[in-house]
Amino acid sequence: MSSEPIERRVSYLGDRLKASRCQSCGKEYFEVRDYCNNCGRKSYGKMDSIDLFYDKGKLELCTFVNEPTNKFMKLSSYVYGIVSFHDGKIRVPARLTDQLICDGDDVDLASLEGREVIPRFRRRYTVGKNDVVPTISLAFTLADEYYPHQEYTVVQPNKESELPGIVGYGAYASRFRIKEGSLERAVPFIDEDAVTASVEAGKLALIHSGLDSSWVGKVYVGSESNPYAVKPIASKVAQVLKLGEEDGDVQGVDAVDTEFACKAATSMFKDAASLVSYSRSGIKYAMVIGADNSQAAPRGCAGGELDTYVGFGGAAFIFGKHDVIAEVEGWYSCTSDTPDFWRRDGEQYPMHGGRFTGDPAYFKHMRKAACKLMERSNLKAADLNYFVPHQPNPQFPVRIAKELGFKDEQYLPALQINKFGNTYSGCSLVGLAAVLDIAKPDERILVVSYGSGAGSDAYLLRTTSQLLDKRKRQKINVKFQAENPFIEYVDYTTYRRLKLGM
Amino acid sequence: MQNRPAIVAVGRTKFGEHYGKEPEKLIEEAWLAASNEYNIERKDLEACYMSDCFLPITNKLGLEEGFLSELTELHVPMEVTRSFSAALMTACHAIQAGVYNTVLVGGIEKMTDRWDKIRDDLMLLDDPWSYYAGGTPESNHELMLRAYIKKHNITGENLDKLNMALAEITVKNHANATKNKYAQFQRKITIDQVLSARKTAHKPLGLYDFAPISDGASALILTSDSVAKKMTKQPVSVLGIGSATDYLNYPKREDLSHFVAAEFAMKTASQMSKVTPSDLQVIEVYDQSTVMEMVSLEDLGFCEPGTAWKSIHGCQNCYDIGGKQLYVNTDGGLKADGNPLGATGGAQIYEIYRQLHGEAGERQVNIGGGSPHNGCVLEFEGFGTKAYVTILGVQKDE
Repeated sequence: MSSEPIERRVSYLGDRLKASRCQSCGKEYFEVRDYCNNCGRKSYGKMDSIDLFYDKGKLELCTFVNEPTNKFMKLSSYVYGIVSFHDGKIRVPARLTDQLICDGDDVDLASLEGREVIPRFRRRYTVGKNDVVPTISLAFTLADEYYPHQEYTVVQPNKESELPGIVGYGAYASRFRIKEGSLERAVPFIDEDAVTASVEAGKLALIHSGLDSSWVGKVYVGSESNPYAVKPIASKVAQVLKLGEEDGDVQGVDAVDTEFACKAATSMFKDAASLVSYSRSGIKYAMVIGADNSQAAPRGCAGGELDTYVGFGGAAFIFGKHDVIAEVEGWYSCTSDTPDFWRRDGEQYPMHGGRFTGDPAYFKHMRKAACKLMERSNLKAADLNYFVPHQPNPQFPVRIAKELGFKDEQYLPALQINKFGNTYSGCSLVGLAAVLDIAKPDERILVVSYGSGAGSDAYLLRTTSQLLDKRKRQKINVKFQAENPFIEYVDYTTYRRLKLGM
Repeated sequence: MQNRPAIVAVGRTKFGEHYGKEPEKLIEEAWLAASNEYNIERKDLEACYMSDCFLPITNKLGLEEGFLSELTELHVPMEVTRSFSAALMTACHAIQAGVYNTVLVGGIEKMTDRWDKIRDDLMLLDDPWSYYAGGTPESNHELMLRAYIKKHNITGENLDKLNMALAEITVKNHANATKNKYAQFQRKITIDQVLSARKTAHKPLGLYDFAPISDGASALILTSDSVAKKMTKQPVSVLGIGSATDYLNYPKREDLSHFVAAEFAMKTASQMSKVTPSDLQVIEVYDQSTVMEMVSLEDLGFCEPGTAWKSIHGCQNCYDIGGKQLYVNTDGGLKADGNPLGATGGAQIYEIYRQLHGEAGERQVNIGGGSPHNGCVLEFEGFGTKAYVTILGVQKDE
């Protein structure tokens, strides 16, 4: 049994890496402090709150751990050391993550010392099934590898649009992949889960949007792999990303998790767009995140067919009315009670309706939503630049795209299933992110997601010139992660082990 | 010094795995051994100071004072500290203040009863934030070694010599332990064993560079000089005792390459006792790792910072400090004698006591044809978070 108060205090400080700096002498502390020991009484109340969440550090010293303490046993071996920030003003203990060490001979400790590292928000260690899931950002990755350092610079919003739309976005997939045939799928590192992916996506979206995180008034997280049956991912996202006005240790933001299989996040696009358009809501920006450590039973077990396609990752979209990069021109959603895919409470893996996940489920709803929205908007397939379908496997999206009359160049840029696998709630969102990464201003994008159970959300988006201005801020885009030279491929057994997590 | 504290009897158990023994049996054994020395009865005791680092965690005993009260059938004041040296220091203060004449100082630990969780416990005691980041009880020692090498810019051939010196520390300690019937390990090891364990671990330090977990107990009887003289011809006086504290979180400390607390504790103890490192040729240091033994030689003032490995390298059973012999951890140290946290300091005091009395048998150190006059003990709590230095001397007429 873990202690809830201790957990809260450790992650409150450790998730964000909160620190303090003395206004007079500049001394820094890795903790929240009211006064400086150098300056004594006169510094009381004159300490600046800083944090290292978006910072980069330097790995000063390191050693190899191959006999971890009990709670780190599932990591089996890793590099552990001391990271310094701000030229050594702050030093923290650190574990290097995203490293699969098969043979300790491969670890060259001396070559790691002195390298730049980035704090990453991860699970801390293994706890009991009934315990609070502990997290921490004292896990680091090398800055010159898969995930480079990006500055988070706040830009004052300028132009207000008539229509609400996307003002920033970020897609995140882990460094590891499993490759079977032409299909590559993202595999989480063992300390990653839907919560850490949500935070990563949200962090990238904030960097891309240039928004002050305190301006975000609502956050929705759609996922079907929340490690908790009850306890939102959104609360963790809000706390770690400091969404909304910070007041003491509480964030002035509304945070909620949504669930509707793979369309849990896309469903909230319209809610976010509406909320920021309603002047009396007082909310200027709303963040929607879809992320999953997509679950599947092992091959050969009931429901194991899903194991061929499941991936890991997600994306976050911030909606607002200022400096919009893609306006939301219209939407249409449809629903029917069609049980084509489900997971009963308490069960680890989902089940599905086999051949009936196609025509009476995916195709029926996708077709309905796409056609209705195009009909209402008086648009034909040829009038659109991009089509972003939900992509549970490599075949379904191609079939629906062709059926709706889209050409290869309209839908292929959105097809990321072959790179990251089916990221469930994050799936259509990653596809949309890939399109926004390459679209030109004044282009129309049709996004149609699908959630089993069943329903579809269709959105008509129109890009603006702001798209190009903001693109420069995001180095870690979809292509960067899909074609990254630091991707590491794992075998089936490792993939299952990593996916199971800590 | 008024009411200078003096040790009149010491006792200890064998260190190691006491699978079949209750913790109370161990402390009883140590206390009986000490009381037998000068026929001290339990009713002579006016107070008890006991140390255990985490007996309530490992053995769920309840209040240790109550358990000690049951054991001794005494109702005198009793206090518990986390290290033997801390208990001794508190007892010394009471004797000096004239509150008591005769007190029992004891220490116990029963770590192997919780062998499956002990490394997590140890790391959480050492430094919780390092634990949260994935640190192990060994990793801070390895990081300190890296910091030491970097700070003093030790490279190439010198680095090889340093690594060899660390291995020699362990070999020496194991050899010493074979002459100590109470020691946990009774076998010699070779340099090759130490080096190949490091290779297996893919780390700068391996299995043989670290002290084990142990069960054990130790005890001593403390009085004042004037009382001691009536009891024994040769009491061992506590000439000086000092302690100092450092940050819990190792990465936060200003200098990662040594233990500043040991330096400060030595200064205090040295000032109090008027004994300097040059007066000392027999010392017990807290070698939880070979790095700790090396670095401690510098922190206690025997070697200049960054040079201890030179004094160690090539030596057999004693180190060469500027042409003078320094005997370190003649009982085998924590590495080979064992390290039952709360009792460890008691075993260190025990060794110095025996050496000063000339009763150390095969281990006996001879300085200028006789047993040494002074000795020194360094004990840590945590990873250098607290340091205690105790300087002992055989009674001389004043």
